[in-house]
Amino acid sequence: EMSRVFPQCRDPLVILILLVHIIGVSPAPPATDSRRGWMGPPRGCPPARLRDPRGGARAGGVTSACGVLRLQGGGEPDPGAHCAAVGSQVEQETGGGVAEGKPHMGEVVTAFEVKGAVDYDRLVEEFGSQRMDEAMVARLEKATGMRAHHLIRRGFVFSHRDLGLLLDLHEAGKPFFLYTGRGPSSTSMHIGHLVPFILTKWLQDAFKVPLVVQLTDDEKFLWKGGGLDDYKAMGMDNARDIAAVGFDPDRTFIFLDTDSIDMLYPNILRIQRQTTCSQVKGIFGVTDSDSIGKMSFPATQAAPCFSTSLPAIFPSKADMACLVPCAIDQDPYFRMTRHVAAKLGKPKPALLHCKFIPALQGDSGKMSASEAGTAIYLTDTPKEIKSKVNKHAFSGGRETVEEHRRLGGDTRTDVAYRYIEFLHEDDDYVAKLGEDYRAGRVLSGEMKAEAVKCLQGVVARHQDARGGVSEELLRALMWRRELPVR
Amino acid sequence: EVENMAEDSADNVDLASKQDGQVVTPWEVEADADEGIDYEKLIVRFGSQRISPELIERMEKLTGKKAHPWLRRGIFFSHRDFEKILDLYEAKKPFYLYTGRGPSSDALHMGHLIPFMFTKWLQDTFGVPLVIQITDDEKYLWKGDLEKGITLEKFYNLGRENTRDIIACGFDVNKTFIFSNLEYMGTMYPTVVKIQKAITYNQARGCFGFVAEDSIGKSAFPAVQAAPSFPACFPHLFEDKETQCLIPCAIDQDPYFRMTRDLAPRIGWKKPALLHSKFFPALTGSKTKMSASDATTTIYVSDTPDQVKNKVNKYAFSGGQFDAEAQKEKGADLEVDVAYQWMFFFCDDDDKLKKLADEYGPGPVRAGNKMLTGEAKKMLIETLQPIIARHQKARAAVTDEMVDAFMAVRKLSW
Repeated sequence: EMSRVFPQCRDPLVILILLVHIIGVSPAPPATDSRRGWMGPPRGCPPARLRDPRGGARAGGVTSACGVLRLQGGGEPDPGAHCAAVGSQVEQETGGGVAEGKPHMGEVVTAFEVKGAVDYDRLVEEFGSQRMDEAMVARLEKATGMRAHHLIRRGFVFSHRDLGLLLDLHEAGKPFFLYTGRGPSSTSMHIGHLVPFILTKWLQDAFKVPLVVQLTDDEKFLWKGGGLDDYKAMGMDNARDIAAVGFDPDRTFIFLDTDSIDMLYPNILRIQRQTTCSQVKGIFGVTDSDSIGKMSFPATQAAPCFSTSLPAIFPSKADMACLVPCAIDQDPYFRMTRHVAAKLGKPKPALLHCKFIPALQGDSGKMSASEAGTAIYLTDTPKEIKSKVNKHAFSGGRETVEEHRRLGGDTRTDVAYRYIEFLHEDDDYVAKLGEDYRAGRVLSGEMKAEAVKCLQGVVARHQDARGGVSEELLRALMWRRELPVR
Repeated sequence: EVENMAEDSADNVDLASKQDGQVVTPWEVEADADEGIDYEKLIVRFGSQRISPELIERMEKLTGKKAHPWLRRGIFFSHRDFEKILDLYEAKKPFYLYTGRGPSSDALHMGHLIPFMFTKWLQDTFGVPLVIQITDDEKYLWKGDLEKGITLEKFYNLGRENTRDIIACGFDVNKTFIFSNLEYMGTMYPTVVKIQKAITYNQARGCFGFVAEDSIGKSAFPAVQAAPSFPACFPHLFEDKETQCLIPCAIDQDPYFRMTRDLAPRIGWKKPALLHSKFFPALTGSKTKMSASDATTTIYVSDTPDQVKNKVNKYAFSGGQFDAEAQKEKGADLEVDVAYQWMFFFCDDDDKLKKLADEYGPGPVRAGNKMLTGEAKKMLIETLQPIIARHQKARAAVTDEMVDAFMAVRKLSW
């Protein structure tokens, strides 16, 4: 649409800004199904206004729909900053095409991703996080004595906070632990959910460190309908999928909030006390008509960043350093935690940010567990995977075979290729496939076939692994016991 | 039920603002009038029921025991659903008591004792179990200060100290479960989170006067105080989720429980019943609530007999006339006279109290030679000292093992 109206314009960032300000449209939200906290992108500010109230085109800077420029670049942004949230959900009521953000109550439509052209560099600058550059990747490899995971090497782990400091500590012989989590939103996880866990497993293997995994059944209960027990059950089911990723049962503790709140509560109180309602409203878009449970929940997700929150697991009275691998949309959440950590005299958690795995429809749709046809589930059959990819996967190919052979396909927007980039382990294969596609030697359909193979493989291996998760293994992973620390 | 629903609606109720010249919230009590809080206005504003003579009579008939002086004298003056409690008792069905303490200092004062003394009487009279919540988390949220070293541990320890005073009131260990929120949250949490979901920030703000710069901990805390109103909070005690709860408390705690009653049917739980007491006036006058942090306003349960004597003589606000002559002539204003007001609370002997009122206050008895304030104060001192002495003796006998016994998660028998 935009290229029709502005045929000269190809620069994605300009398209982005024009979209936001002229049509008043917000591009599609990020495609992971995570909602608040481990459930996903924090909701931003009050409902979007369609036009930037200050009017005029903005030369630079991505603005949130309420018109406030997000965060100054560099340094640690003030978590109380208005509209700090990135990538909030937009429920796709119009479906397909250009996202016509109809915001839900309390959701902000932020300019985040449009047709695959998210400017991650700009994001890093605005969030004040640090780019994951070659030097840092090299440092990681040196520290672990292992080749970096392909997610890191291919730049899907694109930014961090304080990874350098964490590596300093590690090199000085000091311990750290990993922390990640999941909001048990449905019994079926999809490919997008898997990515942070894949990264976390590599980190655990590479550094040989303990890991805690928080299942936020309370969060889900607070945000959705249904009973608390339903979410406990979903959490237990998700725990099996998480176990199937292959974490080390001797070094991993998976827990439901409702089961571990007795351990977490003291630190939750300390964090709650240092966090104001206006901060939570500003960062997460919680409004006055939301429950007090929603208002206070951020402290529950922050707490496991501190090892003293789980005394049965980490008995030391001194807090250990923590590394949190997460999708980029969760950053404001952990920025808040880092801010509170400083106030409490506790170590700030270090972060690794992942890019989003795209929805089948590409960036104008979101991979959503609640919308069939947008996601590849870990329970999909090979046939379903093939059908979904063929039917729905956004193609970066040209309109005709002739044109495609001549001009080549766009690997940046081709969802089939993006999936291969995320999931396929063989660097050479991935590189060659990309080259061939851009050169027009590989057609759109062929690319899809490759993606289908890749996805079928990933899902089949996962299903096998999940089938192999015994009751004993699950119990062992969820058992409260001291984890070995360096 | 329909009537009650209107009464309990927490929407559009701004309890935190000044109305009718008075503010009554769990953290602030202030009245413009010299006589203190106007309780009639409060009943109307809060929508509770007066405890009528008929209700008291019914209770006496059912229990076969004389009503506590505080009921007869109208110190416990208002209620919500107390008739339901009597119905249950009549049908030989169980109910349980719930009260609590916020451990903000290790000094309990006479005002703190009142709900505990009354609750003990209720436990003895009705033979029912009791749960007592120690809100160490609340006090930390409100009073914690990292720079000043006022830590979470401090409030936990204060809570254990306060528990000794509570035990000293004479509760039955077989029927009483005392718990610290910090320690018990593991079991309470499902109940708490269900309640948190049912209270909007707007409601909490209207009820308690929170502002945007208040912590998220404060805004979430009301759900924690509400939780023990429901038997689901105590799976080891109550299998029947329909068990009714009765909460005796000072009237300023009503906002918590009004909100609790409002949300109960939405979750599918029974509303707790309530018995409200008037404020025990500060030594320095009845316009305000007694404060544990101001020693001139109160008598601590740890005060020596001399301290009791000196405080009453020095600080107790006198309703007596401006000089002895006028006093002998007219008599004291009993409404504001603290010596009389405290006797009203702590003198069990109805005749003695009447005699004091007749001789010290206005009226024909001893006309022209009314009792002087000094003598009234002496009577008070002599009434208070044995009460405090008994308490201190009982407290000294409380061991760590007894504290552990009361706080153990175990079945109660009743």
